[in-house]
Amino acid sequence: MSTVLLFVEPDDELSLQALTLAQRLGDVRAVSIEGAYQPSAWAAALSAEPADAIVAAGSDRGNELLAHVAARLDQPFAANVTAIDGEVVTRIRWGGSLLEEARLRGAPKVLTVAPHTQPAAAAIATETLAVPDDGSPRVLETVSEAAGGVSLRDAKVVVSGGRGVGSSESFDIIEELAGLLGGAVGCSRVVTSAGWRPHTDQVGQTGTKISADLYVACGISGATQHIAGAKGAKKILAINTDPEAPIFASADYAVIGDLHEVVPAISAELRKVRGS
Amino acid sequence: MLAVVAGGLFARRALFLTRLVRRGKPNAQPADVPLRVRNEVEIVLGQRKLLQRLVPGLMHAFIFWGFIVLFPTIVLAAIDVAGGHVTPWEWYRILTDVFACLVLAGVVTAFFIRKVLRPARFEGSHLGEADLILTLIALVVITLLLWHHVGGVGFAWAHLVVIAAFLAYLPHSKHLHIATAAVNVWLARTRRRGRLEPLRFDVPDDQMRFGAATIFDLTRKEVLDGFSCTECGRCQDACPAYATGKILSPKLLIMGIRDQVFAQSDAPIVGNGVPEQSIWDCVTCGACVEACPVSIEHIDHIVDLRRSRVMVDSAFPKEAEPMLRDVERAANPWGKPQTERAAWAESLGVRVLEPGDPAPEYLYWVGCAASFDERAKKSAESTAKLLQRAGVDFAILGPREACTGDPARRMGNEYVFQAYAEQNVSTLNEQGVTKIVASCPHCLNTLANEYGDFGGSYEVLHHTELLAELVDDGRLQPAAGTQSITYHDSCYLARHNDVRVQPRKLLNVIGQPVEMKRSGKKTFCCGAGGAHMWMEETGTQINIERANEAAATGAETLAVACPFCTVMLDDGVRETGAELRVADVSTLLAESLE
Repeated sequence: MSTVLLFVEPDDELSLQALTLAQRLGDVRAVSIEGAYQPSAWAAALSAEPADAIVAAGSDRGNELLAHVAARLDQPFAANVTAIDGEVVTRIRWGGSLLEEARLRGAPKVLTVAPHTQPAAAAIATETLAVPDDGSPRVLETVSEAAGGVSLRDAKVVVSGGRGVGSSESFDIIEELAGLLGGAVGCSRVVTSAGWRPHTDQVGQTGTKISADLYVACGISGATQHIAGAKGAKKILAINTDPEAPIFASADYAVIGDLHEVVPAISAELRKVRGS
Repeated sequence: MLAVVAGGLFARRALFLTRLVRRGKPNAQPADVPLRVRNEVEIVLGQRKLLQRLVPGLMHAFIFWGFIVLFPTIVLAAIDVAGGHVTPWEWYRILTDVFACLVLAGVVTAFFIRKVLRPARFEGSHLGEADLILTLIALVVITLLLWHHVGGVGFAWAHLVVIAAFLAYLPHSKHLHIATAAVNVWLARTRRRGRLEPLRFDVPDDQMRFGAATIFDLTRKEVLDGFSCTECGRCQDACPAYATGKILSPKLLIMGIRDQVFAQSDAPIVGNGVPEQSIWDCVTCGACVEACPVSIEHIDHIVDLRRSRVMVDSAFPKEAEPMLRDVERAANPWGKPQTERAAWAESLGVRVLEPGDPAPEYLYWVGCAASFDERAKKSAESTAKLLQRAGVDFAILGPREACTGDPARRMGNEYVFQAYAEQNVSTLNEQGVTKIVASCPHCLNTLANEYGDFGGSYEVLHHTELLAELVDDGRLQPAAGTQSITYHDSCYLARHNDVRVQPRKLLNVIGQPVEMKRSGKKTFCCGAGGAHMWMEETGTQINIERANEAAATGAETLAVACPFCTVMLDDGVRETGAELRVADVSTLLAESLE
């Protein structure tokens, strides 16, 4: 029976799913590594262990780490594998739209297991591999994407401004309303093109697709590419001076008026209701 | 001895170059011999594409025609040197003198252009090489004139020595086009210019081609394209991406590929000979192809490089990912539900074709943009109303119409494109469709030029073509108007599919047309082609440049005939604050009938 080295992360469902597939390959030796993530050093440690196959979950970390391992061992690497039969592996490509059958002839075989394609196995004993710091790049600190604020993708409320806002300074009123609602600030493509806001704030098909409960679109005409990013919102409130603006076709609530008056009025009302 | 050395050097290099071309992947066998002969006569002998620019065109034509006329003088000089003597006909002597002078005039003009005018199109070209070649050409004709008019075997010798030097140097320089241009023109597309060569996924693995990663994946035509490039920069001058400060220069792209072919480097083309960003800057508008005097087909190179990046490396601009995913999963690039595709037509009572229904005379192919985009929908509504008014028998496919696959294909995702090609062809064929009217020039291009490769053969018209026909037949009688209208030609209509007259015909009836400087075949893109509708643009935006150009005509209305142009130029006009209304030709026509 062959030996399978499985890299697991603590308390990780995906690692247990990977274990299910790994157990089909042979005797599994599960290892984990403690300390700051250091891809090159971790990969060196895994590469040094004797094994017929090296397996990890097809997470961002698992895929990165085993890519390093494969490069070190100069072996082919199959990522996001769903099934394996001898040397034939089935793997997911194209963001899940394509299943590819490939032959994996490496020794050891290096592969990751596609998430949510296997049931999770019962956890087995895991040994901790000691990895000395070899001076290669390592993760020093992890900072969440929108430091201090609410991330656009996950925000429950998004208040967005478009061309109608007029300038980067005028985003004050948008920021104020977003703050009062505990939401994030978004914007349309025109605004990032004009340099009023960073691209990370852009809602749209080429920016962030949001999933808020409420989307407030201020002075946004509603190009299809913008709507494509906003359609995940449960309710859309549009404020625009132009009654013909395409945004109204997608909006649940419409205010035809100047955002420079309407938005501060909403903020004032919110303060009043909250008594602050 | 001289002939042997020069000829030997030439032959050695020629053999090497031929080997490089033959190593390329074979292209489809060229059919259409009569059209190819016509191209040789027009483009090579007649210098048609060079003469698109009068002065540089004439400069080149004089030198080119001069060389044809002067060719026999080599033999005459050789006989003279060998001690023999032939007296040519008097008229030929005069003719050679005239053409020798024309060549000299050409060389002087060329130096004037290069040294005094210094047009921007030469940026990045090898200028020293051109100087050397021009000097050699001048020496060829000067020695000829001296031999003719001063006399003596010495000048005949000098004439032959210069020619030998020229011959030996020629294939080592960009002047190689003398030998390759005619072949390149012969191999270029003769019809269906907007068509991309499909990749074959049904062939054995070792013959399968996923675009081009290294020079060994290039087709023979693509290798020859590189050998034919004279670095004249006409493509660069016409390129909307280059004009707005992007990394892409079609000239430098072809030169980069060529240099890598010469170096026989097996390194990836992208990232070495060609910067990664440049292949994504292209809007596939075809301005470069149209401008190129030697029929280089730049779009093929770019799409082949994209194909390899997308299908092999899965590396492409991140912002295009949602579009590709939505095309793939939702059958339209914005991920809208297919069930809403015919929503715009409900209140108009447009017939939606059900399986088994008899085929209408025209299937109206609405396209994703005109089905889902609020601004583009107006054109679909106008077109449908006009067709109803003229009593045309038409119907739409509704939810069974899927994206043609064009944006995926132009991005390099041939898999997704072919899946949609097969699906749509099977729907259209099952319904017995023979005639299609399309609102989107990109759909039109795919339906008319590309579905033939997948078993779909239809007569495809753009809505402006059908509407012009209906006006001609008196089935629609628009009222004459006075508004001044400038018409923006869509690249995929005007350049790739030769539809330029009909939209203007309609506008002539309903308003007062004013032309922009870049119009017709020389139109300037709106910035959306080649899947750029779904990509971010850096620096100056193409649509703003074009909106400014339209505003400069002083027209009240900017007429368009493509849903992408509608959206892009409407955005551009808003951004610039120009007093211009952007509307589709069909909408303007419908208004004139109200």
